This record gives sequence, C-alpha cells and structure tokens, in this order.
Amino acid sequence: MMNAWRKNATRAVAVTTMLGLTATAAAAQTATGRVVRAARAFLTTLDSAQRQRVSFSFDDAKQRARWSNLPTRFVERAGLRMGELSAAQRAAAMTMLSSALSARGFEKVQQIVEGDEVLKQNERNNPMFGKDLFYVSILGTPSETAPWMLQFGGHHLALNITIVGEQGVLTPSLTAAQPALYTLAGKTVRPLGQENDKAFALLDALDASQRAQAILNYKVADLVLGPGQDGKTIQPEGLKVSSMNATQRAMLLDLIAEWSGIVHESAAAARLAEIRAGLDQTWFAWSGPTTHAEGRSGTSYYRIQGPNLVIEYAPQPLGGDPTQHVHTIYRDPTNDYGRKLTSR
Amino acid sequence: MKKYLAAGGVVAAAVLLSMATPAYAHRTDEYLQATMISLGRDHLRLQLRLAPGVAVFPVVLASIDSNGDGVLSLGEQRKYAERVLGDLSLTLDGSRIPLRLAASKFAEVAEMKDGLGEIELDFDAVVPSGGSQRRLAFENRHQSGISVYLVNALVPEDSTLRITAQSRSYEQQSFKLDYAQTGASPAAARIGSWPARGELTGYVGMVKLGMRHIAEGTDHLLFLLVLLLPAPLVAAAGKWGHYAGARSGARRLLRIVTAFTLGHSLTLALGATGVVRAPGAIVEVLIAVSILVSAVHAIRPIFPGREALVAGGFGLVHGLAFATTIAGYGIDAWHTALTVLGFNVGIELMQLAIVLATVPWLFALARMPVYGWLRTGGAMVAGVAALGWIGERAFVLVKLVS
Repeated sequence: MMNAWRKNATRAVAVTTMLGLTATAAAAQTATGRVVRAARAFLTTLDSAQRQRVSFSFDDAKQRARWSNLPTRFVERAGLRMGELSAAQRAAAMTMLSSALSARGFEKVQQIVEGDEVLKQNERNNPMFGKDLFYVSILGTPSETAPWMLQFGGHHLALNITIVGEQGVLTPSLTAAQPALYTLAGKTVRPLGQENDKAFALLDALDASQRAQAILNYKVADLVLGPGQDGKTIQPEGLKVSSMNATQRAMLLDLIAEWSGIVHESAAAARLAEIRAGLDQTWFAWSGPTTHAEGRSGTSYYRIQGPNLVIEYAPQPLGGDPTQHVHTIYRDPTNDYGRKLTSR
Repeated sequence: MKKYLAAGGVVAAAVLLSMATPAYAHRTDEYLQATMISLGRDHLRLQLRLAPGVAVFPVVLASIDSNGDGVLSLGEQRKYAERVLGDLSLTLDGSRIPLRLAASKFAEVAEMKDGLGEIELDFDAVVPSGGSQRRLAFENRHQSGISVYLVNALVPEDSTLRITAQSRSYEQQSFKLDYAQTGASPAAARIGSWPARGELTGYVGMVKLGMRHIAEGTDHLLFLLVLLLPAPLVAAAGKWGHYAGARSGARRLLRIVTAFTLGHSLTLALGATGVVRAPGAIVEVLIAVSILVSAVHAIRPIFPGREALVAGGFGLVHGLAFATTIAGYGIDAWHTALTVLGFNVGIELMQLAIVLATVPWLFALARMPVYGWLRTGGAMVAGVAALGWIGERAFVLVKLVS
C-alpha cells in the first residue's frame, strides 16, 4: 500500500518535472524563436510578388526611416498594406506582430488602429484613415541569430522592432491617438490613457520644490524629436530623477513601461533594467496645466529624457480639442534601429 | 449610473466635436517653427524646420511666391530664406554674430497646401573666441502673428563645451543659453594648450597657428602677393616702368614687408590684450578693400614711393583680424604675451617663406616684357576677388546694422 503510494508520488514528481522542463524549454525559445516562427508562417502565406514587396534589406536606411505620424496618403509607406491582404494573410501578419509584442503592447496597438477606423467613420468615411491603411514590412531575414527588423505602422503609429538574437529593440517608435477617447461595442477606449493618467499621478506625487523644477515656464507646442529626428540628444531640462524618492521613481518607471513594455516581455524587462540603470541621470519635464478632467486626457506636454531614453507626450490642437489628439515618441538616441547591437 | 451618463455625454460631445472639425492634416492654423542649435567651439549651426498649417499656408505661400505662379523658384526660395534670416538674431556675449545660409530645402507646394510639407533652412555662424562663461541669445521674430515656436540645443559633441543654463520666453521666441568652455579649442588642443602641456609646447603651438593662419587665409596671402607685384619696378609718369635693379627693388621690398609687419604686430598686440576692440565685420570689409587698393596700385601706381606707408596702414587693419583668432587664448598677462608673440612669429615665418618663394621669380621675370602681362593679370584676378569679398562682407555688415 505504502509502496504503491510512493510509486505514484515518484511518478507524479517525474511527470511534473518533465512538464516543468518542457515548459522551461519552450520558454527559453519563446521570445525570438516564437517571432521567427510567426514571421516565417506569415511569409509562407504570401505569393512571391507580395514576398518581394514586404522584404527589404536589413540596412535599408530609407525604409527604416519611412515612418511618420501622418496619414499614409501624405507620407507614403512601403511594404504590404493590410487592406490588400486576404483574411488568412492578415491574420498571420497579426499573429506575427502579437508574437513580437507584450499582451498589453498588442492591445494598445490594436486600440490605436481601431481608433483610426473610428476617425474614418467620424469623418464621413474619409478614405485617408482606417485599419486597412496600416503597413507591414520585414527588413532582413527572420532569424534567431542574425539581426532583422519588423515594422508595422500607418497613421499615428510606427513600430520599429529590431531583433538581434534574444534581444528586441523597439526604438524609435511612435504611438499616437485620435480620437484619444472613443467607444467601441459599448466600451470606452483610451489607447494612450495610461500615458496621460500615470504622468499626472507622478506630477501630483512631486513636492512643491520638485514641481517647480519639473514644470517648464514655456509652452511646448509639439514633439521636439518627432519623425525624422533620429539620433539627436537635446540638452535635458526639468527635474532630475536623482532627487526623486523611491515611490516617485517607481511611478516614473511604471509610466515609462507604457512604452518600454510594448515589446515582448523578455525584451521589455531588459530594456527597463537599462533605463533603471540610467535613472539618476534621467529628467522629467512638464509644460501645461497640472490637472485634467477625470477619465479624459489632459492638454499637457511632458518629456522623459535619460542617457538612453527619450519619451515625449505632446497633445495636438488639430481637430479642435487637444484632449482628443495626442502624439508620443519613444527613442533611444544611442540605439536607433538597434544600432548599438548591430554595428561592429 | 450617473457616472456612466456623464462619461457617455463626454464621449458624445467628443464624437460631435471631431465630426464638426475636419482633421485632415498635420497642423491647421499655426506655422510651426522649430529651431535646433548645434554648438561647436568655433562654429555653430542653426537648423530651422518650418511647417505651415493648412489654414495659414496661403499667408506663408504669398510671402514666398512673389510672382504668384504657384511655383517656388530657386530665386524665391533664396529670397525667403534671407527674409527668415533677417527675422532671426543671434548674439554671443552681447555682440551679434552673423548667420550665413548654408542649405535649404523646400517641400512641394501641393504637400504644404495639405499642411504637411516642411521647409528646412540651415544656417551657420563662426563663433568668435571669448571667455570661459558664455551666453548665446537667439530670437526668432518670423511671422509671429501665426506661429508657434520650438527651440532646443543639442548636447555639444565637443566635450570642452557644457551647457549650464537655458531660458526661454513663454512662446519660445527668444532663447538664452549659458555655456561653459573649458580647456582648449580644437585648434589649440591639437597644438597644445596653456598651461597644461608646458610653456614651450604652447608657444610652438601658437607659432604653428600663426603660420597656418597665413597659409590658409587666402585674403592675407593675396594682399601680400599683390603688394609685392610692382616692387621690382620703377614708377614713371603714372605708369609702371622698367626694372629697378636688384638692390633698389630689394630695399623697397624690405621696407614694404617691414611696415606691414610693424602695423599688424601693433594692432595684433592691442587687439589680443583687449586694449583695442574693432567690430569684426568692418575689419573684414576693410581687408577686402586693402586687396582692391593694392591690386589697382599693381596695375597703375596710385601711391608711388609711399608703398611702405600704405602697407603699414593696411597692416594695422590685418592685425585686428589676426587678433580675433587668438582673443581669449591667454589666461593671464604672461600667457597672453606668449600667445601674441608666438602667433606673430608664426605669421612672420610664413610671410617670410612666401616672400622667399616668390621674390626671386618676381625679380627674374621683372626684366622681361612678359612681366607686364603677369602683373596686370595677377592684379586683375586679385581685384575681382577683392570686389567679391567686399560685396559679400558689406552685405553681412548691412544685415548687422539694420
């Protein structure tokens, strides 16, 4: 009796261990392996002409920089447009994209894309907008060892994901939203709501003298380092993080994670560690009102700048309501398109 | 429940609002003017990105497209860039420094009509040397009725420059930037800086700087050569005549070179120690004038027998220009003296080398009839160059004054 129990227990332990090992093995493969598999799967759904159009050379500097906050009609993108893909091809493209992103990151991207569809409807079916007008492109060959890049973007969105071995770099990328608040299937959606709310919460958590340093006494009308401004490092301003306490730092990192956490989890963790290491030399600057209406975004600009980080959040007057239109940029001036990992 | 109603109301209002206002383009009723300043030790760059919104584009277009044909010709682009330049001002430590248009790029009219295209204007400026704490002030008054402004400075690539403070007006139309300058300039860093690398290295460095200044300074070189052209000849009846002979020619040449040296040494010393301060833009124009006068004199003698006096006078002007190169190098009286001395020795050495290299040829050729052609031709080339410089530099001067 006792023996049988022991036998069963041993078996259970063995099975659990094996399951655990299998899971670990799968996890060890997950990040890049999963993206590469999904990318290859997407490529096999394409015909040869499409494959040619989706593919670029890894060091194609022009294609790398071919992104913007502007509608695709004005700044033409290259690659494959979602609207020209079959349902199966489109699903494979989305699977590839989601494999490179975290769950929340993918959700955010979908909300931005859906937002453009809402904008299209708000504008009496304006053919300039909509989820069919987003483009996918692949620079280099999907590989678990050699560097390659995946791009996805359109109006108000530009994701540049450079994959080098197990590393994944999301800089430079642009997330934006218009409308910044909409309802879809009865649900209120704010694609970049956390970027607003967490920033105001951090500002509220600062004491009077920290605020005085953080708040700039001039207006910032737009992104300083928007599209086309790769590799630039401006003189930082505002409040230096070295004077923030532990709670404030944690809030700041949580805010930064709205961008650094778009990429898949292991790459995001590495990126956040890098940002944390440079936190003392990071600056937080604010321009505009210090309050916002509950449940809506405010009209304030802010910038977070560190040795390897630039984040800007800039509400836009276009459309008549800056609480409904915001552009943001996420950069690492030392690592545009994974330059730090790929240059020898 | 109430909360949901309120949220619903907000959403409905938002939807209505976005339906009422078309959101086609980038910016609507604003002209975005973003300036990026790249600061260097002896050179700086201003990059302007000008993005007109849809609603204000007609205003901007009208000010560029002066003939109203809907096309921006190169001439119109250039004029507009100059208009923008006229609306900018840049001062360093309280004195204006002239900006020069280095490059420009205009988007297509059709793009800009949609509120998308940008105009990119690159300006650069020479940074005169100065103290260790400096203040740069920038102002942009271009189209202030319809514009929004951004101005930022890049972190300087030169590690001897450190930005210490920035301030802006609320609209970012005016910008002040304080920076500290440590160690030596790139030029001085190559040749050794005071006093870290020792007196002798520093001194030799200054000699080299002086030599390079003459060798690379086309205008000084040209002045000297043109001045020497008629030296071997005798002037008679308002014309250059025959060869004066080696002894007489050499004596005259020596007098000219000595007078020029005395003149520029005096103002170099006075300028470098800050006793005399002359506006750089005027000095630059006068230097060009000095070349023109010498060129005319080389064709027809206009001041025969008084070459040494004129050379001495123009030496005073050239010395003021030399002084701006080394102003601020010396950290105390002793090092300033060493700097001036070293730099001047360098200038004299280079000058001597040029004299030694050209004079034997001049004297040899002066005996031949072909010398007339050579002298006139050389003087003409120098004269045309001088006229060009006068025009260019006077333009900068007028810009500064107005």
